[in-house]
Amino acid sequence: MNIAPRYLGRGSWLARRDPRVLILVVFLFIFTVLQVWDGRVLLLLLAIAIIYYRSAAIPWAQIRRNWAVVFTFIGLLVFVNMLVAGGDVQALPADQADVLFYMPILGTPISAQSISLALTQLTRYLTMATIGFPIAFAIAPSDFGVAFHRLGVPEKFAFGIDLTFRFLPSLAADFQTTVDAQRIRGFDWSAGATGFLGRVRRSTPVIVPTVINAIAGAEDTIDAMDLRGFGTGRRSWLRHLIYDRTDYLVIAFFALLLVAATLGGFFGTTDELWTPQFLIDLAGR
Amino acid sequence: MTTMTADNRSRLWEVTSRTIVYSAIGAALYGLLLVAQLPIPGSTVSVRPAFALVPFFGYAFGPIVGFFTGFVGNAVGDQISGWGLLTSWNWSLANGFVGLIAGLAPLYLARFTEGSLRDRAIGGAIAGSIAVVIGFLFIFTDAILQGMDIATIFSTLYLPVIIGDLIGTIILVPVLVYAWEPVKDRLGR
Repeated sequence: MNIAPRYLGRGSWLARRDPRVLILVVFLFIFTVLQVWDGRVLLLLLAIAIIYYRSAAIPWAQIRRNWAVVFTFIGLLVFVNMLVAGGDVQALPADQADVLFYMPILGTPISAQSISLALTQLTRYLTMATIGFPIAFAIAPSDFGVAFHRLGVPEKFAFGIDLTFRFLPSLAADFQTTVDAQRIRGFDWSAGATGFLGRVRRSTPVIVPTVINAIAGAEDTIDAMDLRGFGTGRRSWLRHLIYDRTDYLVIAFFALLLVAATLGGFFGTTDELWTPQFLIDLAGR
Repeated sequence: MTTMTADNRSRLWEVTSRTIVYSAIGAALYGLLLVAQLPIPGSTVSVRPAFALVPFFGYAFGPIVGFFTGFVGNAVGDQISGWGLLTSWNWSLANGFVGLIAGLAPLYLARFTEGSLRDRAIGGAIAGSIAVVIGFLFIFTDAILQGMDIATIFSTLYLPVIIGDLIGTIILVPVLVYAWEPVKDRLGR
């Protein structure tokens, strides 16, 4: 069972960046996107996100299932929101919207504005997912601890993050051993159970031994850390992180985008929903 | 009934090598088992038995371990699945709050946490349930962050998540407490 994070972007332009750049870019970009509701600007941001994503050179064949899950999840969420919101769009009351038609059975008004809102939300989610993917596939798992520490996360917690990634392969192997051991006894946790309760109950003989074994086995790690004086002074990290000129340029670019989005919200209209005229015209007919 | 001393209260927030290792194990297990969750055919809800680890680690090892397990574990699960470590940071925080609130059980459920093994197991289920209901309120931040309708968040996200996680918590946390307590005594904890 291979459950460890996949470093698929290894060697790419983005993977050669300081890992802090990828983390900072996600923060900067998400807060940029969150301030924008104008679909035209969002499309521009999506284009920037796609260029950034492409620079990670993540092989499509290996992550198309991940994207399928993203599209399904986002699509479902946006569609349900459109139905549940019942035509209420931002500051525009439902009775002032340009209604195109009413949903059969439910009677929910579908207006030019609610369609625009749904498409805008879809674009926002897609943009954020696109910028988030490189973190999953273009940072070496062993770099997370030091990267978060250098970004200001307290040393002990940064070490905890590092340890989490290091525990993953061995715990995945222990989990598989438990699954196999139960199968030998004639118990298959993934088969035979029906319904919600049945599935939860069936997972107990696999989850409980895995968890208790892991906790009991942690004593060795705790002893080793105590013997090396963990937490008694500043620790050093094996990997040294240094920003190069390109890293600074990338951060500066995304910081500028955030500033522009903030100013656009204050002085412009980028924080207001944009509805294409042809949709409004369609409602008028 | 014994009352909790100030010393015990301050110990809840201690960060030792034990805290860090249990946090890392909790987060790794949660992230790992999240990926191995079982979808229910014909439903948008996934069975997340792994979620019970968040209130359990909080309840058994304290609020810091609980918060770390939920917050980092959910982020690691997102990372492994490809969604990205930080893309749904508010969801990771909500998971973290569940662990944190469950970890504060000695402050509001002392009668259970300082009772017999049976009491402690029941206390785990109660603390976990309270934590799930309160902690996941944080996902309503999607209303601000994503412009989602409150009713949509309630019906599509909050309700399915807390129903699924409450079932997992009520069934699995007491079982884990029953399994862990004898091991804890054997280890001299």
